[in-house]
Amino acid sequence: MREKATTIYLGPQHPGITGNMMVRLKVMGDTIVSAQTEVGYLHRAFEKLQERRNWLQSFTLMCRFCVPETDPMENVYARAVEAIEGREVPERAKYIRVLVLELARIATQLMWYAGQNGSLGLYTMGQWSIGDRDYILDLFEELTGGRIYHMYQWPGGVRRDLPEGFTDKVLRTLDYIEKRLKDYDDLMFNNSIFQKRTQGVGIVPLENIIENGVVGPVLRGAGIKSDIRIDEPYEVYDKLDFEVPTAEGSDIWARALVRRAEVRQSIRIIRQVIDKMPSGEYFNKFPNPQKWTIPAGDAYVRIESGRGEVGYYVASDGSQYPRRTHLRGAAYVHAITLLENILPGQNIADVSAIMNSLGTCAPEIER
Amino acid sequence: MKEIKQQMIDRILKAFPDAKNTDYDGNRLDIAIKKESVPALLMHAKEEMGFRHLSHIAYIDWIEQGEFEIVYILWSPSDKLKLFIRTRIDRENPVMDNIDMIWRQANTYQREMREMLGIEFPGMVAPDEFILEDWDDIPPFRKDFNTLEYVNRTFWHRPGREDAQDVRETITKRSGEEIPDFAKKYSR
Repeated sequence: MREKATTIYLGPQHPGITGNMMVRLKVMGDTIVSAQTEVGYLHRAFEKLQERRNWLQSFTLMCRFCVPETDPMENVYARAVEAIEGREVPERAKYIRVLVLELARIATQLMWYAGQNGSLGLYTMGQWSIGDRDYILDLFEELTGGRIYHMYQWPGGVRRDLPEGFTDKVLRTLDYIEKRLKDYDDLMFNNSIFQKRTQGVGIVPLENIIENGVVGPVLRGAGIKSDIRIDEPYEVYDKLDFEVPTAEGSDIWARALVRRAEVRQSIRIIRQVIDKMPSGEYFNKFPNPQKWTIPAGDAYVRIESGRGEVGYYVASDGSQYPRRTHLRGAAYVHAITLLENILPGQNIADVSAIMNSLGTCAPEIER
Repeated sequence: MKEIKQQMIDRILKAFPDAKNTDYDGNRLDIAIKKESVPALLMHAKEEMGFRHLSHIAYIDWIEQGEFEIVYILWSPSDKLKLFIRTRIDRENPVMDNIDMIWRQANTYQREMREMLGIEFPGMVAPDEFILEDWDDIPPFRKDFNTLEYVNRTFWHRPGREDAQDVRETITKRSGEEIPDFAKKYSR
């Protein structure tokens, strides 16, 4: 008897899908024959909205591009505007920005711990890491007033200086998280279920991997040392000492090892930042926002987010409003052309795990 | 880095005499070129000059000049250089060459451009719809798309949420309660 392919829809209402998107799968039995990503469930046209808002109002929309990881988006906006305008940023602000970005990276990876394990049915890990992530959100709340959306890094510096005693709290939180990482290893990396479900699954082909737009932990999980913090250093990353972890195998397991090591590197970076933090101004004033014009020109800045390269293009025509803004997220490539390419041949049960390990973030795709 | 940058620019200008270079500080190269030469230049940059990574494709509507601008942004992992290749196409009859055989992921960018600006890419294989569903107006990222008019025409306004109304007054009127003293100073 000839088997017929069946079409099934993973999402948009599915506990295993990463955000409001859908993957249309054609399956034969349990095996995927073809996959197609469908988006369009949360297009908010932020870029269109920014064209009608002044340079300060546009900034408040930035953090909303990707909910699990908001700080890299604020940073690219601030740096893009600074690049067109030629605005200087005080040294202290740069250090504070790195502090925030690395805390955000830890928070993102802790959320990934939850997603990756949840997609394999290992829910305890998620409850632990999401609980621990809340300690970082507490820090953000004290620093910026917001837990998820911070609106903190704006053109010219950051919005507030560090509160009194903040760095001590950061160090205490880092000590706690570092201790917890050992528990995570026992529960996750030493767990034979996790090993069996991830090793050799979701392999990203090594051939033409850079040409195919693979970035971030996915690229490093294929053994390629690529990190924008090293390749195109921004803020003060060139003054800090850290390693870029890589792993061999290009499967979910390898990407998990990379992210595991990245949390440790972020902790290392934050300790250095606190150690080297200079005193002084944290913000160079910009003009009255209602009359703030930016000279004509354009800029494209890139940042290494927890999921890979995020780029931001801004064009100004010399007016009070951005002429055009355009975000490139890691998921724009990972969740569409890459995902569609690697899913055929995989088991249906592994789709969520693969999507999590690629760092899929639907709001970043359609913005 | 400056020497490598200059060498790269010289190579491009030699191979593409119609290209125009703009100087920028740092690791940015900026080349403007007519649209017919774009695929050849992209291919040249990728295969011969080490710009292997397609970082982004941005698009802008310059309605005053009657043109769309497309900016291809490439990254060279070996030389740590960023290459901007910009081209302008006619706004009235926007057609651009398909480049998804050079970089597979360009297909997604082109789908977005087709939907948001209405640029056609002959030969591109992709589903009709990307982000928008059953769109019946002009492409929404064109500058002459009237957002407010579209919203008023498409969406139904919920009564009681008209603009410039005082929400507190409306609520108190509906519930029959008084506005508390502390809140009165905020009411109009």
